[in-house]
Parts: sequence; C-alpha cells; structure tokens
Amino acid sequence: MHHDNGIWVSADDLMREESFLQSAEKEFSVDNVDQTDGKWETNRRDFLKLLGFGLGAATIASCEIPVKKVIPYVTKPDDIVPGVANYFASSFVHGGDYCALLVKTREGRPIKIEGNTLSSLTRGGTSARAQASVLSLYDTRRIQSAGRINAGKVEPMEWPMLDREVKSKLASGGQVRLITNTIISPTAKMALKEFTDKFPNTRVVTYDPVSSAALLAANQQCFGTRAIANYRFDRADVIASFDADFLGTWISPVEYARQYADKRKMRGQRGLTMSRHYQIESHMSLTGSNADNRILVKPSEQGAAIVALYNELSGSSGGPKVNDKAAADIKKMAADLRNARGRSLVISGSNNIMEQVIVNKINDLLGNVGTTVDFSAPSYQRQGDERDMVTLINEMNSGQVAVAIVWGANPAYELANAADFKTAFAKVGTRVSLGGTIDETTNLCTHAAPAHHLLESWGDAEPKAGYYSLIQPMINPLFKTRQAELSLLEWADSVNLNRQDAQPYYQYLKSTWASDMFAKQTKYSTPTAFWDMTLHDGIFEVPAAAGSTVFNGAAAIDTNAVTKPAGTEVEISFYETVNIGGGQYAHNPWLQEMPDPVNRTVWGNYLNIPVEWNGKDEINGWKGLTDGDNVDVEVNGQKLTCTVVRAFGQMPGTVSIAIGAGREMGGCGVGYGVNVNPWLTLEGGLVQYAAKEAKVSDKVGEDKHYACVQHHHTMGVTAKQTSDGQTINADEAALAFQGSLTKRSIIFQTNLKDLQDLEEKLEEFHAEAEHLNAQTLYPSTADYFGTGMKWGMYVDLNSCIGCGACQVACVSENNVPVVGKKEVKRHHEMTWLRIDRYFYGDLENPKVVYQPMMCQHCDNAPCENVCPVAATTHSMEGINQMAYNRCIGTRYCANNCPYKVRRFNWLDYTTADTWPANEERVFRVEEGDKPFYADNLTRMVLNPDVTVRSRGVIEKCTFCIQRIQEGKLTAKREGRALLDNDVRSACQTACPTGAIIFGNLNNPESEVNKASQRAGALAYKVLEEINVRPAVNYSAKVHNSNEELYS
Amino acid sequence: MSQPVAPVRHVLIEGNKTYHQITEDLCSPTEKVPSREWVVAFAVSAAFLGLYIFAITWTVWKGIGEWGSNRTINWAWDITNFVWWIGIGHAGTLISAILLLFRQRWRTGVNRAAEAMTIFAVICAGQFPIFHMGRVWLAFFIFPFPNTRGPLWVNFNSPLLWDVFAISTYFSVSLLFWYTGLVPDLATIRDRASGFRRKMYDLASFGWTGSAKHWQRWESLSLVLAGLSTPLVLSVHTIVSFDFATSVIPGWHTTIFPPYFVAGAVFSGFAMVQTLMVITRKVLHLEEYITINHIESMNKVIVLTGTIVGVAYLTELFVAWYSGYIYEQFAFYNRVFGIYWWAYFGMMFCNVVSPQVFWSRKIRRSVWWTFFLSIVINVGMWFERFVIIATTLARDYLPSSWSYYSPTWVEISIFTGTMGLFFTCYLIFCRVAPVVAIAEVKAILKVAGSQYIGKNATVKRSIPDQPTIVQAKSNPEDSGFHGA
Repeated sequence: MHHDNGIWVSADDLMREESFLQSAEKEFSVDNVDQTDGKWETNRRDFLKLLGFGLGAATIASCEIPVKKVIPYVTKPDDIVPGVANYFASSFVHGGDYCALLVKTREGRPIKIEGNTLSSLTRGGTSARAQASVLSLYDTRRIQSAGRINAGKVEPMEWPMLDREVKSKLASGGQVRLITNTIISPTAKMALKEFTDKFPNTRVVTYDPVSSAALLAANQQCFGTRAIANYRFDRADVIASFDADFLGTWISPVEYARQYADKRKMRGQRGLTMSRHYQIESHMSLTGSNADNRILVKPSEQGAAIVALYNELSGSSGGPKVNDKAAADIKKMAADLRNARGRSLVISGSNNIMEQVIVNKINDLLGNVGTTVDFSAPSYQRQGDERDMVTLINEMNSGQVAVAIVWGANPAYELANAADFKTAFAKVGTRVSLGGTIDETTNLCTHAAPAHHLLESWGDAEPKAGYYSLIQPMINPLFKTRQAELSLLEWADSVNLNRQDAQPYYQYLKSTWASDMFAKQTKYSTPTAFWDMTLHDGIFEVPAAAGSTVFNGAAAIDTNAVTKPAGTEVEISFYETVNIGGGQYAHNPWLQEMPDPVNRTVWGNYLNIPVEWNGKDEINGWKGLTDGDNVDVEVNGQKLTCTVVRAFGQMPGTVSIAIGAGREMGGCGVGYGVNVNPWLTLEGGLVQYAAKEAKVSDKVGEDKHYACVQHHHTMGVTAKQTSDGQTINADEAALAFQGSLTKRSIIFQTNLKDLQDLEEKLEEFHAEAEHLNAQTLYPSTADYFGTGMKWGMYVDLNSCIGCGACQVACVSENNVPVVGKKEVKRHHEMTWLRIDRYFYGDLENPKVVYQPMMCQHCDNAPCENVCPVAATTHSMEGINQMAYNRCIGTRYCANNCPYKVRRFNWLDYTTADTWPANEERVFRVEEGDKPFYADNLTRMVLNPDVTVRSRGVIEKCTFCIQRIQEGKLTAKREGRALLDNDVRSACQTACPTGAIIFGNLNNPESEVNKASQRAGALAYKVLEEINVRPAVNYSAKVHNSNEELYS
Repeated sequence: MSQPVAPVRHVLIEGNKTYHQITEDLCSPTEKVPSREWVVAFAVSAAFLGLYIFAITWTVWKGIGEWGSNRTINWAWDITNFVWWIGIGHAGTLISAILLLFRQRWRTGVNRAAEAMTIFAVICAGQFPIFHMGRVWLAFFIFPFPNTRGPLWVNFNSPLLWDVFAISTYFSVSLLFWYTGLVPDLATIRDRASGFRRKMYDLASFGWTGSAKHWQRWESLSLVLAGLSTPLVLSVHTIVSFDFATSVIPGWHTTIFPPYFVAGAVFSGFAMVQTLMVITRKVLHLEEYITINHIESMNKVIVLTGTIVGVAYLTELFVAWYSGYIYEQFAFYNRVFGIYWWAYFGMMFCNVVSPQVFWSRKIRRSVWWTFFLSIVINVGMWFERFVIIATTLARDYLPSSWSYYSPTWVEISIFTGTMGLFFTCYLIFCRVAPVVAIAEVKAILKVAGSQYIGKNATVKRSIPDQPTIVQAKSNPEDSGFHGA
C-alpha cells in the first residue's frame, strides 16, 4: 500500500508498520477479532447465531414448496375470460359414428363435450363415445411427430422431410392403396379425389370395424342407392329388429334413440299409446333389453326368422325353418306388424345380403317404404365393404401395391382376416399411417404421418344427405401432428391449397363450403356470413324434399339364400359394445371403466352364458359355471380362454362375447379381454358376427380380476316350479322368501294395458308412505325449502335406454377418477352416477329396467346426521353438500346411505396427495407408467370448476353444483331471475332420450315439475316410505308387451 | 366352641394367609427376575405389537384401500374389532364398580386385573375409530374446540361424536379408578424397594404414608369413582350400539340394541377376564387369591349374560318377522341364511349354546373348561359384531349394490396386532404392579375368621405343595360366593 494521495489513517500507517500493512491487506477480514493464540474459538454469541442460522436455513430449505408458475396473459385474447367457459360448435366423427357437439373450453382447452341442440339428427343428445372423446385428446400414447416407424417407435422427422420421402414413393408409379373406415366428410372426399386424380393408380378401400356391407348391397339392389335408409323410429308403432342394436351401436344410435324414446314416453293420460318393439336375437343387446318382446332365435336362425316373417306376410312358404316357439311368436308379431301398415319398421343387423333384401321386401309388403324407411335423406354413416379388403389382401400379396396409406383404420386388428392382412401388408414397400397412436396397424407401417385429434382439426361431416355439420379446432395442436386431409393434399401437390396460410386446410374447407354449400341456401347473401353463422351453429341442414322411395320389384327374393340353421349344440355370436365398439374406443379409460349396460362388467369382454333354473330354488350358470370362471372356448379350430359372465336373456344353446377387446397395442386397452376377431368368419367376403359352433370347456380356472359392478342382477324374475307347475318368483325362491325383493319400492313396472292397476297400486303406496312419513316429531322439511330454489330431478325410466352417456358425462364433468380393473373388482369404483340394471319377468327371457342412480339429495338425509364433523350438510336449496376439506373419512355416511351412492377415495386415485409414496395401486395406462392422473397432459382434461378429491374423503353427486352456481351468476349478471334452462346437469345434457330432467322444484313452470305432474301417480321416489325424502322422482317403467307371446 | 364370627361368612382368601404373606405373595412378581414364561409371552406379544405398528403405518401410508372394505361395506373388521374390544372392557368396570356397590366382596381378588384389562382393551378399541378414518391426520376435527374455521363445530347429532365422548369418559374414569386403587399398593412396593426403584414407586404412589386420613380420603374417592363408573357400564355400550341403532339400515335400526349390546359386552368381558385370570393365577401362583370360587362366580355371570344375549338374538328374529316390514325381514333372513350364514351360526353356537354347559357345577368349576369356553365366547362375540356390521351392510336396500367382503392381510394384521398391544400392556402391568389389590384383599382376609381360631390357627403358612391343608380349610361346600 502506498500513500499516493498523501493521506494516512493512523500513526501506524504513517510509519508503515509491518503489522499494519499486513492487516490492511485484509481490510474486511475478521480473523483477528476473535482469534486468540492463533486458535479458533467460537464464543457463545456466535454459536447461537450459527445455530439459529443453521436451524432457520434448514427449516426454510425443507419447507420449500415446489413452485408451479401461473403465467398470466400478457395480452388477453378477446374471447377468453379466465374462469368463464367458452362453447364452440363442432362434431364428433369417428368413422361413421356421428354426433353434433358443443365443446366446452376453459382457458383455451377443451374439457367437456355437450350435445348440440340445433341438430335435428341428434337433438342435443350424445353418446358415451362422444362424451369420452375429449379424454383421447390428452392421450399420452399419441404420436407426437411425423417420422419413420422402427420397432414400435417413431423416429421423428420434420414434415417436409417426410413429405419428400412419401411423395417420391408415390411418384414411383406403383399401385397406391388408401385404407379407410367410412368417411362422411364431403371436403375430405374432395381432398381424396384430388389425391386420386393426381395418382390415378390409387384406389380407396373402405371397410367398417363393424360391417353393414350387406345392408348397403341390399339397398343398392332394392332401392338403387348404396346407402342406409333414413329410418324413422318416431313414426313406427311397431318395430321389429332382427339383431340390430339400433339403440346402442347400430348405424346412428343417438338419432334413433331419440326417435324411439319419443314414441315411448308416458304422457300421464289413460288411453295413451306407445310403440311396440320386438327384438329377435340370441344375446341380450342394449336394444333387446329395451324391447317389449324378445323372440329368442339362435344366431344361425336369424335368416330363417326373417324368412318366417316374410312367408307370413307374403303368404309364401319355403326357406329354412326357425325353432317352433320363435315361429309361433313371429306369426303373432306379423299380425301386429300388419295392423300397423305404414307405421311399422323392420330392420336387421345381419350381414347377409339376401337377408337384408328380404327385410327390405318385408318393409315394402308392410307399406313402410317411403314412411319409416325412406331414401329422401339417406344416411352415409356406413360405407365400408370388407370384400374390398379381401381384394386388397390379394393385391398386396401379389406385390402389386407399392404404397399403402392407412387413414383412421386399424385393419391389423379389426379385420376378421387380420392375420392375412398383416402378412400381405408386409409386402407393400411403403406403408404410411395417418393414425394417432401406435396401434396394431401403425406398428406395421414404415412412416407415421400422425393426424390431429378431432378437437384439433378442421372438417365437416354429412352423416345424412343434406345434414351438414362443421368440425372446428378447440385448441392448437398439442403435438407436431398434421390434419390428415392436409397430408393427402400436400402429397398430391394440390393447387387449391394456400400453403402460405397458417391453416391451409381451414382455407380449403372454407372455400369448399363457399363453392358447394353456399349455393344450397338462400338465407345468407355472402359466403362469409354463411360461413360465420354455420360455424357458430355447427350445423347446416338442407333436407331434401321427401321424395318417393320405390322398392325395386325386380330384386329377386330367394328364401333359400339366407343363413341356414346350424343345428349344433352351442352357437356363439359376437356383438359390439356401447362403449368400446369394434375396438376403436378401447384405449379410452373412461369408456373402459363404463360398465357394459347389460352385463355390467368393465375392462374387457366376457363370455355371456345362459342361466338355468333348477325348477326349485337355484339359478345357476350353464354347465355350473359362475361369474369370473375361466373356460376354454374353441371356435373354428382356434382356442381362447375367456372369462364367463352369467347373462340373463342369453338363449339356451348359445353363448356370446363382445368384439373390440384384447387390443395388442396403442393404449390403455391393451391386455384387457380377448381378441375374438380371429373367430369371425367371412361368407362371400362378408364378415359374419356369429359362428355355428363353439366348444366351451368346463371351468379351467378363475379370473382373479373379474370386474363387475353389480353382483345381484334380478328384481324378481319368474319361472315355473317343477313340483307343481306353478309360476313362482324364482329370484326370491333362490334368494330368501317370496316378496323379499319385489315388494321393495325400488322399481315399479307394468304392461301398458295394466297401467291403471299400477296407478292404483302406486296411489295406495304413496298414501301409505305419506302416512308413515308423517309420524315425526320434527317440523316438515317443506318449511325449510318452500321458498327460493329447491333443486330436484326427474328420471323417466321409460325413456332411459341405459346407454351410459350420462355416466361418462358425469365422469367428465366432475373429475371422477378412473380406478382401473383391479380396483373395480374390489368394488372401489368411483362413479357418482351409475345405471342400475334389473331383470324382471320370465327368467329365461327377462325384461330389463335401467335405473340411473345418483345422490338423491334427501331432505331428511341419513348421511348428514351421522357425520361427526358435519362435513356433509344440507344447503338451503335442498342440496346435500360435501365439504371435502372437512371430511375425515369415517364412511358412516356411505354406510347409512340407502342408495349406496357415496364414494370413498380408498386410495390416492387422483394423485392429489402430496405424498407420492402411496400411488402404487392407482390406475396407470401400462405397468411401469406414472399414475394416470400424475401426467400433466392427462390432467388437462380436468374441469377446473370441480375440486379434485384427495385420498380419504367421501364424494358423491353434487347435482352439478358448479353449473348451478354458473347459472345463478349468469342470471345475476344479466339482472334477471334464474330461468329453468339456465341450469342443466351434465347427465341431463348428455342424455340422448331426454330421460333426465333437472330443475327448480319450487318453480311450478319448471320442466322437472311439469314432467313429474305429467307422470302423475307413476312418479315415485325410490324407498319413498323410509322418510329420507329424496329429491329425485322416478317414473314407473311401462312396457307394451304382446302377452300372447308368453302363452 | 363358640365362634366369634357369623357362620354365613366364608373364606374368600384361601391358605390361611397372614397379612405379611399376602404382601409377600403379591409383591414378589414385581420384584423377582421375570420367569421364562413371562419372557416368552412378552416376546410374542411385542412381536405382534410390532406387526400392529407395521400394519397401521401401512394403512396410513397407502390408504384405507389396503383394506377389503368397499363401496357397499364401508365398515368391516375395523368397527367389528372396535366394538369387540370395547365390549371386553366392560367386565372390569362391572367388577370394580357394580360389584362394589352390590357388596360382592369376592371381587377384590380379580378387580385389579379386570380393571387393567378394561384400560388396555379400551386402548385397543380406541385404535380402530382413529385409524379407520380416511384422513387420520385430521382426527382432531372430531373434538369441539374453538377454531378459526368459522368457528366450525362438530355435529352433535352424530352417534360417532357421542362415541368420542363416551369412550374418552370411560377411559379416563376407568384409568382414575384403577390408579386410585393402585396407590396404596404401589406404596407397599415402594416400602419394600430401594434405590431408583424406590424413587419411582415413591413418585407413583404420590407419597402415600398410610395415615388414617389417607385411607379415609382414599375410601371416599374410591366410592365416588365407583359411583361414576356404574352408569358408564351401561352407557358406553349403549352409545356404541347407537352407532348402528340410529341408522336407517335394516338390521341396524333396532331399539333392542342398547340392552343387547350391554349384555353382550359384560358377557364377552367376563369371558376375557376368565381367559386372563386362568393364566395369571397359574403363572403367578395366585390360586389362593383367585380361587375356583371366583371362577365359578364369573361363570355364573357368563351363563346369565350369554342367555340374555341369546334371548336378544331370538327377539330380533321375532320382531323382524312380526314387524311385517320387508326390509327388516330380509335383513334377518339374510343374517341367518345369507352369504355369511357361517358367521351367524358360529355366533349362535359360541354365544348361546356353548355357555349353557355352565349349568353343570362340575364344568363351572373346571379350569380347563372355563379357559376353553372363554376363548369360544370371545370368538363368538367377535362373530356377533361381524354379523351385525358386515352381513347387514352387504345386503341392504338396493340389490344393485350388494357386495361381498373379505379381509386383506392388513386388516388381519391390525386385529392380531391389537392382541399384541393388549398383552404387551398386560404383561408389563404384571411386572410393575400387583395383579391383585393388596390393600383390598387384606381387608377381606378375615371376613370368615374361623380359619384363624383354635386348632386352625396352628396353620401359619400357606404351603402350595401341601394342597391337603389348603383344601381342608376351604371346603367349596362352604363357599361364601353368593354373588353372580
């Protein structure tokens, strides 16, 4: 240190003492402060300081909560108000499945599917499949970019690179094949046409996972149109369905269900009418379960049954013969049909062309052509023909095909001849998949050009001639995927594509509509106005004038060309389920966990076996088998091990099993159930959903994860006692004593002709219940709830077809967790709304009543008074509320609930806990994955308005309280009283038949009140007499059976 | 020779003990090196206690989903075990309080151990309501304490809340009563001890000096606590029965439950006392204090309460039929012939049929029969609670929700683990405190003075290996056990 400036600080400094210089070097050192004798010594104060600091630091460090950043909008988008949902019109299209939608988005992400009430096809109804489609948007198994496929993995490539590769292959001049399911989009077809024009050696091969090829072929013969007729169930007084599951899966179930229910609703007056529905089948389908009469025929007798009806109506004879009982019943049915000339409808799910031709002829004989079966607005929802696939396989085998493009189809799984397809497909040089996940087919491809999810896409649909609707994206693509149509146009070097635009396909679609659709209307003068309004409404309907549909008399009827009865001991049929379809929906956990409406099983397919009555007091499974037993089944020489479920209504001598299960790759459906597609056979190239013989072994084991949500199935089925031939209540004989079930006030049902008896009985019951419930020390609950809002529900059991759309809607709306098969097996399912299914009537051929069961919001709720911490209480509006934060999980409320609708979070299903160590038993897409709800992508589907419940608390239906709140806020903001339509529960909006009505019971004008009044004495409360005072009214089930059939 | 005492009074303590002998006999187990039996028993109990801690940790860590209960049967082994353990506790209170008020002086031989059993059983019982909670870390919500949540109060309508009060009151009164009785005895041990041990016992005996004033206060307190305990014998299990009786579930919603539960509780409690006493008297050589007469008296209580319980079972069935109410009828039909029929018949056999053998005096006075049947009854009473809880829930109103329940290893471990907890506590108790109330036994030593007069007085000591003497002076025909 040198005194450059002549300033010194002390004498030492001035003298330049050595020691001073040393210490001045270390100006800020504290060394010498506490240093004594060159040794470290901590004094007390420092020790305390250090201790305090150490402790504080350690505490703060260990308390640190992981920071999750919430990023506010810097510039708020015009249309998005945080916390307020936006609804956009769109459409659900998956192959030929169609539904007009409104999609609810929150902060720019779609979270819920609603029906679009403007559509005259679906009229606001939805299906479970449509409801669940929002979850597949957030599927973690989606392919995230284009690329080359290698060993089940996508090696990412930039799109231009992929385009270059694909284009070079296409340009090589070899044969090109495009494999698709039904395409109902007019604009997509234009894109396809551009593609085929560019590459003329291209052929588009279309098949459907569940085929209607014979129906299309027959219609071509009979009516000159290769399309599905415009069926009018709402005009049909008598319906005869030969194994067509039109309420569940056949062609357009949402549309048909609405029409069907219109003819079934009780109006509350005597002398009312309702349609009569015959179902001719061996396995109880969803539709069969709703039928008034089921006529049991073996799968191989379907043709003979159709012929029997035809012979009866036409007075001819010949052709194969159906079993005697069915023959007699069909005779009586024919009389009914004949009486309803022009107001009846006969359909068939058969995939035999002659059978479908005869069915068309029957409709012609009955005068239905042009009324209930008309072609003025034919449906395009099934276009596929699997015979083309046979041709394609041959072509591929011969090495002719250079490039195969698979778009939205999964032939390597779905085809009956999938094994042949796989071998042949491998011989194609370039195999491009537009699929969204690595499914069985994509895995075999060389290139992945993943398409957007529906909710990321632009598009349009024309399910029926003249009924158009639009598809608009709800969210920016989550991954580097590309619209499938755009890929095709790109490869075809389309000149109509504006590549400069951010969304070329949007422009393409818009210009198509400006040129094609705009001209079909007169309302809007400019294409832009037309486009804007159509996009807003989602639909554009220009139905053709009802033209005359004429049956082509030249269509030859050959009653011998139908399927011949097999005469084997056991036949097997294969059916499509409401939830997972032909397997296309198998990777959606919501659908997998939705119980099959009829046999109430989840996660997989089960062999339905008939039940047998021992004549005294036992209802047994066929061969002594019981639910969850494993058996070996051999069909066409191929053996599979299936798990058995005892199925009421399954015809003796037949068994059945669902297709669509046993997926091998692509998502959560892998490993559940068995793939029975190899059992399907082709007859004349047409796939047959039955096999003439099934060899079922005795029990070979047990499925320890057999998962069924309902163990007791019947509500007093009847059968004959061997000892005296008397008809007794077989269920009660097997269970306990006569009256032990049927005297319960859960289900009331009657035949239409006995309606008056039931009304009298119910009036008596209501009076008795009222008398019992009046015996109380406490003031009437009416005093509490007489003013303001009192929420309640009305469930019309006559309209409910059991399709399960409401259940999936509830799961979606209320963040109800998926728990997986093993947990459902332990009866830990979390569904807030379930559809109880009870069989009644004849044991061998029972009827079914479906009962949606959710929290009944009792005014004298047994759950509320037993909670020690008052976590569940009654609101002033009559809602039974759960305060999750207060719940300590004693579960007394669940025990004390007579309806058993309370659900307990047994494990950390939602991973809402901050304790990840407990997550090993919760649901995962695959073993080894992180828990389903732990994935941020999956969590995007959660409804932000509904709390995600953590482990250890009870939850249950809230009557969609978040919707009530939203409705109230809207009304308040608009300065008006709450209207009846302001609040609609999720189950209500989802229902395709309008079976569920929700509203304010204190408003005499509300729909819910009016419906209850219309039902009169038929409206009842479940367990009305136990004085819990539920807020849900059910109406008795009325069927319209032809009782002559039982004589 | 004229006798200075009334002939109706008979020997309650056998072996012509002197006061000093009593002190010696009863204090020695706490002073000696533990026997091998004790060590083995303790090791086994502690192992089960370890299992208990493991299984409870597992449950809290992973969730109640580790148990077999489900959406329909939300309570099963948890609450079954709770009611079972609570019931067991009742014998202790009955013996110490009600028998005290009824002047059944023979009770002094068994009351200490029975009270200890009560406390340990209530500790075991208390585990279940706590750990069956989904969110046990919030268990404190059930206490009505001032809070900043509104304040948010508890629900006084809920029988579960009544449970909280009933059981905590029961536990505190029982503990006080038991400990009050222990104070003079702990002082006795203190007086014989030295060093650290003396210091500890000094602390535990609250500086008891044995002055007349101390005894006077002690007597008064004992009486007050007995008075407090007496209604508890009836109220606790009544309130436990309200957990079921106030519900709407057929099979639970019955007015017979309070008396039926109390009788069942006393029944199972005495069975458990028998189980414990038969072993304790043998292992600790207390046959002269806990005599065959004690055993016989308790067996009489068992046959009485067992029969009451039997009548209750039959009454339930009758009333179900007589009610004409379909749900009730079905619930009881299901109980007897339904999916858990074996539990019902097990219960009927163990609780109603098996105790009837005690009408035979010979069996009543047989240690082996008593031990065997006490186990059978304990099993039967467990079945009873299982039948009431699980069977009822499995088949309630809506057939769609009917389900089946079977336990997982976690539940089985927790139950067997509470046995470990119970016996660990009991074995420690045997080592630190006299299992027979020294002071109280001394008070009844000479109720029948004949053994100390005349030629009888020559017998100075109890000699266990000379049973003839013992037997000669305690002829069972002269039993003073008018109780039970």
